[in-house]
Amino acid sequence: MSLAAEAFVSQMAAAEPWPENASLYQPLKEDQILLSDCATSLAVQAYLRMCGLPVQVVCRANAEYMSPSGKIPFIHVGNQVVSELGPIVQFTKAKGHSLSDGLDDVQRAEMKAYMELVNNMLLTAELYIQWCDEATAAEISRPRYSSPYPWPLSNILAYQKQWEVRRKMNAVGWGGKNLEQVYEDVSQCCQALSQRLGTQPFFFNKQPTELDALVFGHLFTILTTRLTSSELAERIKSYSNLLSFCRRIEQTYFEDKSS
Amino acid sequence: MAAPDELFCWEGDWGLPSVSTDCLVVLAYAQFAGAPLKLHKMSNPWRSPGGSLPALRTNQKDTLTRPSDIIIHLRKQKYNADYDLSAKEGADSLAFISLMEEKLAPALIYTFWVEPKNYVEVTRRWYAEHMPFPLNFFLPGRMQRQQLEKLRLLRGDELLESGDELEKELYRDAAECLNLLSQRLGSSKFFFGDSPSSLDAYVFGHLAPILKSKLPNGKLQQHLKSLENLSSFCTNILLLYFPRDDRESSSQQPASQPEGGDFDHVPNKRRKQFLSALAALGAMLSYALLTGMVSIQHVQQEALEEPPDLRTIGSHEEDGDD
Repeated sequence: MSLAAEAFVSQMAAAEPWPENASLYQPLKEDQILLSDCATSLAVQAYLRMCGLPVQVVCRANAEYMSPSGKIPFIHVGNQVVSELGPIVQFTKAKGHSLSDGLDDVQRAEMKAYMELVNNMLLTAELYIQWCDEATAAEISRPRYSSPYPWPLSNILAYQKQWEVRRKMNAVGWGGKNLEQVYEDVSQCCQALSQRLGTQPFFFNKQPTELDALVFGHLFTILTTRLTSSELAERIKSYSNLLSFCRRIEQTYFEDKSS
Repeated sequence: MAAPDELFCWEGDWGLPSVSTDCLVVLAYAQFAGAPLKLHKMSNPWRSPGGSLPALRTNQKDTLTRPSDIIIHLRKQKYNADYDLSAKEGADSLAFISLMEEKLAPALIYTFWVEPKNYVEVTRRWYAEHMPFPLNFFLPGRMQRQQLEKLRLLRGDELLESGDELEKELYRDAAECLNLLSQRLGSSKFFFGDSPSSLDAYVFGHLAPILKSKLPNGKLQQHLKSLENLSSFCTNILLLYFPRDDRESSSQQPASQPEGGDFDHVPNKRRKQFLSALAALGAMLSYALLTGMVSIQHVQQEALEEPPDLRTIGSHEEDGDD
């Protein structure tokens, strides 16, 4: 999002309260959405629920092309559109809803660092498994990604997306990795998160922050999504405190409405 | 004992042991862990075993090029700078390294390779001057294209305009990252306790080029200098672990600066002058031949007849002078 637009948004945001009809857009839940998009979307939903802000989830086949940054998910609040967790956190903060106000400087630095750890390792690993592991790409990612489109277009778009992700992997130095190394990185990341969480209910004491929302979004999605191999979920299952962390957030923030 | 591993790195400048962030990270980690490496500093990436720098050739003749792989390899060889860290500190290291890769690395690429003034006056010039003859014409440009591609993919934008907007956005992220690092470091000497760890190596590798390079557009440098604990962290590591490079630069500077002019310290100056004179001469001769100002026939006749005349004239003049 451009700076001018951002300044404008935060100014406007401060003026208006959170409306009742705010909506969150994501790809079709049953047929289209992929693991990584589902994870980022769930993270935003968890964050908004933690803030106590009501949002209605809307599924659209072309959500990716509707989003201002081309990324999933984005929220439509009043007359503004904001995409991705980071800007959404800024946006709600401007409206007076923040989860990280109680943290001191060092804690805030650590929170930001761990959020980047999740983006840098878990999200990249999800993208790698979706698009660079040929079995997963052929069996799940390409058919699902292209499901709303007619034949010649579906192939073109799916391969275009795969090509783009592979180039990104090369740019971040993951191009030469094999699947085993990626799983190893996921383990390393979970190990770090598990150490950081320890026996606390949330990452920073008793209050949830945006980090908790982000971690929940990714871990819960990985645990509940069926892929060609269950290796990714198995790696997470060996950290019992992360599992109970996911269960706790699910019960606290999602139970009433999911039933 | 087996032969030591060999490390190939970019040459240093500006008082740094190397100019590239990745090389600095590896060098700093090797110093912190006390790993005995055979170091080759070079300015020709094509002579590195991996085709890029840095590269580590292990004594099993494997080649590693990613800094994290090299550090993991050194760790397996029992050269571990993170030995004293608790599990939670290890987790924090991983998190802050990710933070730098996501927030600071794009701004570094921008400031060295995209910002037009910095690129033309410092980065491209440095690489063009230090690379050997035919490579210096095309490798800097190719490196810039690779870095641009990397920046574009990291940000996930379709097109990348080097405008004020992009610059502000990247610098804002980078400044935030620097602030967070500064807050985390606080007043301690290293990030965890009294001895440096891999996180210190990564921070040093990312910050030292910003601090030491002399860029025309130095917004990041100004911000870094305003965070006193971070800039003294860098100078401390330079003093403690790379004393030789620091001294070299301070002794070089007074020697090189009086020469002043921008084009004075070109390596192989004589050879280049000679080659360009030769090329100019060749061009003039071929022009003369092609346009018919001089024909071969004519030259041969003159060659037969004239030399005696010339010599006589020359000797006459000399006589006259005497």
